[in-house]
Amino acid sequence: MAIDWLAIAPEVALTVTALLVLAADLALRGDAKQLVNPLAMIGTVVAIVFAVVLWAEAPRVAFEGQYVVDSFAVAFKLLFLGTLLAILAISARYFAEGRYFQGEYYFLLLTAFIGMLLMPSARDLLVLFIALETVSVPAFVMVGMRKRDLYSSEAALKFFLIGVLSAALMLFGMSMVYGFTGTTRLEGIAQALAGDAGSVPLLLGSVMLVIVGFGFKISAVPFHFWAPDTYAGSPLPVAAMLAVASKAAGFAGLLTIAFVAFEPVADVWAPVLGVLAILTMTLGNLVALQQRDLIRLLAYSSIAQAGYMLIPFGLARPGAEVVNQAAVRAVLFYLIAYAVMNVGAFAVAIGVNRRTGERSIRDYAGLGTRSPLLALAMTVFLLSLGGAPLTVGLWAKFAIIEAVAVEVTVFGLVMASFLVVNSVIAFFYYLRVIREIWFEPAAAEAPRLQPALSLSVVVVVLMVGTILLGVLPGLVADPTVVTTFATGG
Amino acid sequence: MTAHDLVFVIVGLVTAVSAILVVTSRHLMHAALYLALTLTGIGGVFLVLGAGFIALVQVVVYVGAVAVLFLFGLMLTRAPIGREALDSQNRGLGLAVAGALFVLLAALIIPAFGGESTAEVTGPTIEAIGIAIFADWVLPFEVLSMLLLAALIGAILLARREAGESGTEAEVTRIEMGEALADEPDRHEAVGTSAPAGELGAGGGR
Amino acid sequence: MSFYQQYGIVAIVAVFGALLYAVIMLVNRIMRPTIPSPLKLSVYECGVESEGVGWSQMNIRYYVFAFLFVIFDVEAVFIFPWAVIVGDLDATTRISPVFALVAMFLFIGTLLEGLAYAWKKGVLTWE
Repeated sequence: MAIDWLAIAPEVALTVTALLVLAADLALRGDAKQLVNPLAMIGTVVAIVFAVVLWAEAPRVAFEGQYVVDSFAVAFKLLFLGTLLAILAISARYFAEGRYFQGEYYFLLLTAFIGMLLMPSARDLLVLFIALETVSVPAFVMVGMRKRDLYSSEAALKFFLIGVLSAALMLFGMSMVYGFTGTTRLEGIAQALAGDAGSVPLLLGSVMLVIVGFGFKISAVPFHFWAPDTYAGSPLPVAAMLAVASKAAGFAGLLTIAFVAFEPVADVWAPVLGVLAILTMTLGNLVALQQRDLIRLLAYSSIAQAGYMLIPFGLARPGAEVVNQAAVRAVLFYLIAYAVMNVGAFAVAIGVNRRTGERSIRDYAGLGTRSPLLALAMTVFLLSLGGAPLTVGLWAKFAIIEAVAVEVTVFGLVMASFLVVNSVIAFFYYLRVIREIWFEPAAAEAPRLQPALSLSVVVVVLMVGTILLGVLPGLVADPTVVTTFATGG
Repeated sequence: MTAHDLVFVIVGLVTAVSAILVVTSRHLMHAALYLALTLTGIGGVFLVLGAGFIALVQVVVYVGAVAVLFLFGLMLTRAPIGREALDSQNRGLGLAVAGALFVLLAALIIPAFGGESTAEVTGPTIEAIGIAIFADWVLPFEVLSMLLLAALIGAILLARREAGESGTEAEVTRIEMGEALADEPDRHEAVGTSAPAGELGAGGGR
Repeated sequence: MSFYQQYGIVAIVAVFGALLYAVIMLVNRIMRPTIPSPLKLSVYECGVESEGVGWSQMNIRYYVFAFLFVIFDVEAVFIFPWAVIVGDLDATTRISPVFALVAMFLFIGTLLEGLAYAWKKGVLTWE
């Protein structure tokens, strides 16, 4: 049996790196252990090179149609790998100084990203499920890494219990879908659903169960309540990973399963996801207004952002090619923008928190004088999360409105108006942090901050990216226009 | 009713009764052992359905390993495990949820699969499963090894007592809660300082 | 062999085993003298009277061992069908023997690194 090695080259690169990192952790002692971080970075860069090569080679179908590398998948892979690189850079000093379990951390991080790379390419329920678990299992452990901190244990337990429950529900749904359609291939399921099977209540229920499983991953209401506690209790780079990469992986899986396998029954799940979108963004924003802890604020803000990204799902209709493709593109573009600005916000939070342990919004008072770079960057990221002009956040929201406008429906307009109202609400809490940063005096004993070089580089790159894409959104939007699902064998 | 059906009903009854005993048993250890019996019963169901290999997996993994892990877990966590009051006072709620779920699933599954014609069951042979794993499912199979490795490392990481090397910790989190909880600083204090400060410092010696 | 032939034999062996046990115990009971006394229920002379309850909290190390067992149990589950087919593979089957060998050894090798980790971190030794 011939294996298409190029198609899985990024995954193989990360796997080899992860195994090497673990071996290096066993071989190295003391401060030399810090070498695992550059090792992981080299592996990530190699994987990025492979992914870029694949961009030109797409679409490729491997493993008899289980695994498809199309432009949609490569775009996601590049998003994940870029996020991984940023997270590695902001983790370096955090973990080296805390003398955490460095080798284990980087191994688990890389393993989680292997699962993420698999997710957008999986065209089979089994592969999809294994990919999802490969993202989840290392994450459960990483959240609980600060073992002496009860908050960390609580965070891990909550995350684990809800994660396992949703995985069980999803697996049950998948088994029913398989039992009914007789295949685990997404294309085959779509064919069966397009026929008579599409009207069986059990099957529609199972479809909803599978979608619910992804709802946990993207922290959509009502499966969101683990997110704030988990983000707050986990090591901050892990929180960044969960908020950005893990959520993007959930969306990648949801997009493939919704628009490839369950597309013929879109009129069943689209309204449900649309209502969830409205609930998610409204609840996330209203609760975010109450927060005093910056990480919890970012957690609720990321719930709200997930709500925005669910809007295009609410637009989907069976057979409506144009609408569905526009919806997929809008989600993808929003995710890229979201990754840039949210990783940036977490990076700044790490820079402030690292030595001082500060994380309440009050502690950001006078950040403008303590570290002008971090203060400026945080301002840009928060404005962008709010969707201010000249930042990528505006174009991300615009992309969703654009998807709504492809074919105007009443429900689409309702969702769009919720998006607009929520964006206004969101500005209240983002601006509150910005006011604290620039207009409140710093506490007398607050030290000047000296972020690590790697962290500063990440922050600057992401800040420039936020503004550059805010001025020239075409840099990302145009290449992703070609994004479509290639058909598996 | 054929003999096959009879065997199925017997195995199913054993499974169901032991499952009920898991939740009604007042002794935690007995509950865990009933769980092992339930899992064995499920293995029996697989066997009756002609899936011999899956039955084997069920017994080897769930009864042999997971149930044992369960017992170890019980003995680890609650030091004196006796006949305690295990009743969480939620019997009514539990019964209602379980009953509703049963009715819902029955209402969905029976019309969906009830019309299928019955046939003598023949499960796949173990050779067919072996070929399928390596010919059709080699990608998820290899990914699974990474998943298992991650679970292994994770379990050791969380369970082992750290000695020197990579065992030390950063500061304990201080989380600012919303308005409601801000009035009870005591709770934060209690949680935040639960890790003895001396211990934190001592570990960082290396 | 049909389902009944296959498992019928298993059932017969099981029933026969149970019967054998019952008969032996029955014969034992019939033939032995029965003289009950409370002394017979006490701990053996040189033993110490037990105190408290039999439950005690276990060392977390047991848990690590149990977990290692679960992981390698799952591994064994995959080795089993592999072992059944690997001898019969040749050029005419869907997969070549080399392919099956490499695939399985990659799987085992990955998990072996976990074992090496456990060894190096000292969870396999009892201090």
